[in-house]
Amino acid sequence: MVDGHNFKSSKMVFLEAEMNSNVLISPDQLTPQGLLLQKAIITRLLEDIANKKASKEHGYFIAITSLKSIGDGRVRTLTGDVLFPVSFSCLTQKPTKGEVLTGTVERILKHGLFVKSGPIEDIFISEKMTGDYKYVPGESPMFLSEKHSKLEKGVSVRFKVVGFRWMEADRQFQLLATLAGDFLGPI
Amino acid sequence: MSAGEEEENAAELKIGDEFLRAKCLMNCEVAIILEHKYEQLQQMSDDPANQVSQVFEKSLQYVKRFSRYKNPDAVRQVREVLSRYQLAEFELCVLGNLCPETVEEAIAMVPSIKTKGRIDDDEQIEKMLHDLSLIKKFE
Repeated sequence: MVDGHNFKSSKMVFLEAEMNSNVLISPDQLTPQGLLLQKAIITRLLEDIANKKASKEHGYFIAITSLKSIGDGRVRTLTGDVLFPVSFSCLTQKPTKGEVLTGTVERILKHGLFVKSGPIEDIFISEKMTGDYKYVPGESPMFLSEKHSKLEKGVSVRFKVVGFRWMEADRQFQLLATLAGDFLGPI
Repeated sequence: MSAGEEEENAAELKIGDEFLRAKCLMNCEVAIILEHKYEQLQQMSDDPANQVSQVFEKSLQYVKRFSRYKNPDAVRQVREVLSRYQLAEFELCVLGNLCPETVEEAIAMVPSIKTKGRIDDDEQIEKMLHDLSLIKKFE
């Protein structure tokens, strides 16, 4: 069941998406036994997805949950490799603007803090977006609120995604977030 | 598409169609799936750590840390309770993940409950949150 027709405005959480892809099998992996071929295709698909990590369209590829079908192979005349179209389900996660996530504080700097959340490693909360938490320098710097609540490395926080972009070179998302809002902050 | 382009696409693992059909999962459901996957890999291979990607590892750590419900029966009950209301899939998951304690918090986390008229009656929201907390109590 999918909400509405507009994925872009929905607050995505973990999605199990159905996808199609092509797996390339080299001739030395092609044996008369059908079973070994299937294993080679699955292994190759797992490797490809793990290496791909994420895409701008789908977000992070977390785990393949099931294999739907493997189509007929087509031979690549130049190399002799065989291309198999594969249909499968994959767990994915993609950030969305306005969504509320939980994460762990990774680094404290004067101008803000860095947070990690699941596969998303690069989340920055500017000191302008920390509500009434103020930077406190020292050997282990932190952000402190008037009520003496601390934001330091290892603390779990709830934050809202203000914006994000896809970094092609690193194959990951970079997020900007805020703690200013009801029910946001350390949990 | 020329043969050359196709070759390039295949090498890049260009995913063909977009989402054909997608369903949303709560953190606690994902935790169960990923833990099961990890067990499968342990049985299949001598070195399971080699088979799982960083994305998998970090996601597993994350969902284990931020799942309120651990027991598979409890997780099933949570989805069942939330499914009784006219919520969109993602709204259901956000509520199941964030486990708001008050009606105020629930509306703050998922404003569309009110703005899109999913649950008009605050008492109903109260009941839903109460049922969720009972599941936790008896987990």
